[in-house]
This record gives sequence, structure tokens and C-alpha cells, in this order.
Amino acid sequence: MGKGRPFLEVFTCALNEDYWFPILELLVLLCALWTFFSAGIAGVSASYSDFITVEAFTHNLVFSFTWPLIVMVGIPIVKNIAYGLGSDLEKGIIQTLFSYPLTRGYILTARLLSALVIPLLLFLGISIFGLFLFFPDVIAANPGTVALTYAAQLSPVLLTAGLLLLLALRLRRGVPTVLTGLTLCFILFVIFDSIADSIAWGTGSDWILKIYAVITPNLALQEYYLGTLGVSSRNWVPNFSEVLLYVSAGYSLVAVIFTIGYVYFKRWLRI
Amino acid sequence: MSLISVDEIVKRYGKVAAVDRLSLRVEEGSIMGLVGPDGAGKSTTIKIISGLLKPDRGSVRVFDEEPWDNPALKSRIGTIHERAHFPSHHKVLDYLQRACRIFGKPESRAREVLALTKLEDAYDRTIKTLSAGMLQKFAIAHACINEPGLIIADEPTSNLDPEARSDLLDLILKLRHDEDVTFLLSSDIVPELDRVCDSVAIINQGKVWASGGLTELSERLGALPTRISTDNPEGLGELIRELEYVNRVEADSKGVSVGVLAGDDERLYEDVPRLAKEAKAKILGIETGTVSLEELFRAAVKYGQGGGRRWEKADLS
Repeated sequence: MGKGRPFLEVFTCALNEDYWFPILELLVLLCALWTFFSAGIAGVSASYSDFITVEAFTHNLVFSFTWPLIVMVGIPIVKNIAYGLGSDLEKGIIQTLFSYPLTRGYILTARLLSALVIPLLLFLGISIFGLFLFFPDVIAANPGTVALTYAAQLSPVLLTAGLLLLLALRLRRGVPTVLTGLTLCFILFVIFDSIADSIAWGTGSDWILKIYAVITPNLALQEYYLGTLGVSSRNWVPNFSEVLLYVSAGYSLVAVIFTIGYVYFKRWLRI
Repeated sequence: MSLISVDEIVKRYGKVAAVDRLSLRVEEGSIMGLVGPDGAGKSTTIKIISGLLKPDRGSVRVFDEEPWDNPALKSRIGTIHERAHFPSHHKVLDYLQRACRIFGKPESRAREVLALTKLEDAYDRTIKTLSAGMLQKFAIAHACINEPGLIIADEPTSNLDPEARSDLLDLILKLRHDEDVTFLLSSDIVPELDRVCDSVAIINQGKVWASGGLTELSERLGALPTRISTDNPEGLGELIRELEYVNRVEADSKGVSVGVLAGDDERLYEDVPRLAKEAKAKILGIETGTVSLEELFRAAVKYGQGGGRRWEKADLS
């Protein structure tokens, strides 16, 4: 028997559990509504004349249009990975999945496809459609900037997902994983952000901003475009090659964390 | 032919050895029970054999294959886990039909196994609304979906009421008889295993204290109670109690029940006439009976704890 059918069934099973009615429907509706709302705000607030380059304008437009959607799809990602996978391990549902003719790697892939990839596809589909609908000329003229902005924004989302995966595998419980995960995210993306700014400002050195840019490459991208405008409040203006380097480093970090998660799940997960 | 061969497996959790050089054989078509107290290592052993855990050392073969993370083997075995849980938002029939598709079986098999476990009335219920007993039955139905040649079950009767337990034991016997399914069962409830098992392995502290057929174990552990009918039970009982190889003596109004180690029963038969003469007791009859698995279990555990050849007196009470 091939692996395709069992894999598909385990994947659809995970979909049913992650998005029982009407979670997915509500999410789509909220994202779609926000797209219209956001388009109105972005259309009013973003004026090309404020920016020196069309790339900086495009980046700002895409960023302001998409970040609320990222927060919106982030909620099901946290719920599905931290609570969903954690609860599966806590209750023993994972043992049931392990009784099916699939390797552990396939089972984790099916679980992550449902928990992570579906919300991301939803985000990409709705936001790209919205951008093309409301700002077709800007988007069509700068596909590279659009892609880079998306890449820089998604890197911390994937990093968060990877960290939640590791926490869920380690803690093997739903609620503690959610609480620990949210605390970790708050430390990483709020407290560390403030501390990095303070240290950089206080010492006049940019090394900590460079470290933080690996975690959130969008910082490097923003500083690059703000630097071109001369309006950056930070004393760090990376060049474009550096921006690409930070985006690559961010995804490398994500790849390392997911690899650790897979290896742990396959070899050492105690059930 | 051994369907399951376990050789010298070790599984440690930190400094604690959950399973410690455990060896086991399960013959094709048999029903083997794992008996042991809580924390004995039964569940860990079951998980290793069903491929959920990898032993730190030793070898495990099931259908002559290594079970750890082996998808091909999973199609041939059914597993019932302790505290069985399933994705809760599915309906009973829908989930089993999905399991049929996963194992490449026709969807009609789902209704068959639900009928087999008397869950026909629960077709349209969501799994999360099932009671603990119904969920256990559902787990059994789920384990039968792929028409396995081997079913490995960890505490399969937990959460079941007495009638459902009895039904399950009947089902196990029926599956063995009709479909030649081999079973490896673990349970704390020894009388249940006594009813269905051909052989047992008594596990404690991660080791097999004793294993084999019930008769063989009775003989090996000396758990062959001897009943001596006499007109002077108290007097004869007092003298028998003095024998160093005797581990249990109980006198009642009609006779004396004695427990001895294997091999010592012949000595008892030789000594009884002499002791009866001394006690001025008339021997009306003497016979050796069989012992329950529960008694065997208690004897074996005590035997192992003593680390010696014999267990303490009054052990087989």
C-alpha cells in the first residue's frame, strides 16, 4: 500500500480537528473583511509623494496592508500547534496516529500542513488577491519588493511556529505550551525589541540590532527603506545585500528549528 | 512459530529502568497475557513491541520485522492503547471509515467492527460524546479495522463495566478462534487474563519473573496446592507447618491445604504419612489441585523480591 492515501487521510483528519466548523469560515470572513478595511486605510494614508523611491512606497504599502492579516492567521497557528499538537500528545491521540501505516515524519508533516501551511496559504491567497485588487499597478510594477516584504514578514511567523513546535514536543501538554509560547513570543518580539533599541541607542553600536534582524528580518528591510528616506530613528542602515543576508539568516534559523523538531519527533519523542 | 520475539530489551527513563533485560516470546495463534503491578513495565513493553518506543538495547521482532516506526508492520497489527483517545470532533462511523481508507480496507468494514463491538447505536455520535466504556469499545473496533493478525492491547478492559468486560473477553476468544488472531494483552485484572490466556508473563520491576503456560507456571513456581483430608486437621497442620519447604498451611474443619515449591510436592507426599502417625490423624484423602493466575502472580512477585529460590510462608493465601 502506498503512502499517499494514508497521508491524505491523516492530513484531512487533522484539518477536521484544527478547523472544526466554523473556525475556518470565520477566519476567511475576517481576513476578507479586513482586506477591504485595510485597503481603505492604506489607500488614504499611503501617498507615493511621501516616499523617495517606488520600492519604499511598495514596501510600506504591502507591510501596512498585510501585518494585521498576519496577526489574524497567527491565532490559529498558535492554537493548532501549541494547543492542538500539545493536546494530541497530552491525551494520547498521537498514539492513535502512530498506529497508522505512516512513518512519524509523514504524520508530523500532515499535522503541520494543517496547522501551519493552511493558515499561511489563506493569508497569502487573500492578501495577494487584495493587493492586486486594490493596488494592481503598484504591485505589478514591483514584484521583487512585494516578495521580499512577504518573505521578511513571514520569517518571524515561521520562527514562532517552529518554537511552538519544539515547546509542544517538549512539554507534551496543550495549555502549558500555549502559555509558555505566548510568553516566549512576548519576550522575543516585544521585550527584546525594546531592549535592542535601548542598547543600540545607549552604546551607539548596531550589533544587537543585527542579531534582532535575524529573528525579524523585516527590521533590516524597514531600516533599509527608512534609511533611504533619512527618517530612521535607529543608527543602523543596512544595504540591500545585508537585507538579503538577514532574510536568508532568518529562514536558515527557521530551517534549523524545524529540523530539530522533526528529528526530535522521529527519534526521541516519548509517548 | 514465534510471532513476537523480544530479547533482552532495556528501556531507561533517566536513571530508572522501566524495562530491564526483558525477554518474551508470543506464539502464533496464542493469547498471551502480561501481568504485573502498576509500574511493572507492562505499558513500556507493549509500546516497544507495537513500535511506539525504541528500546535502548536488545532486539524486538514482530512478524520477523523490527517494529520501531515501521509503516508496513502497522498494517498487520492492531493496537489498543491505555487511555485510548481519538480525534474528538469526528463522528464514530466517519472516523472508522477514514481508518478503513487509511488501511486500504473497504468502508463496509467500519460497520462490521462496530457491530462486532456492539456499537451500532453510536454510528452518528461524535467521538467526544462517547462514555469512557463506549470509547474503549470504539478503540477495540478501531484496532480490528485492518483485520490484523496480531492485536496488542494495553489494559483493554479498563473503563468497561462487568458485562462489557465479559463481552470483550468473548470477542477475544472469538477472534482467535474465527480469524486466528494472536493477542498480547496486559492487565492488572488477573482473573480476566486467567480466563482467556494460553500463557502469561509475570512482569515486575521491568523484568519477567516467570512466563509460560498456566500449567507450566504452576509447576515451575510450585503453586500446586495440596489438599489433605483428615480427621485431625489442627494437629496435622501444626506438624506440617514445621516442614521447612512448606510455604502455606491452612487448616479447616475437614482438612489441611498446603502450598509447596515445585519438586517438593513429592517430599510432602512422603512426609504426610509419618506426620499423620505422629499427630494421630487419619488420612482420608490427598490430592494436588491447580492454582489461579492471581495466586501465581503473587507468588512470582514475592519470589522475585526475595531474590532466592523460595518465597515466604503464607504467601499463597
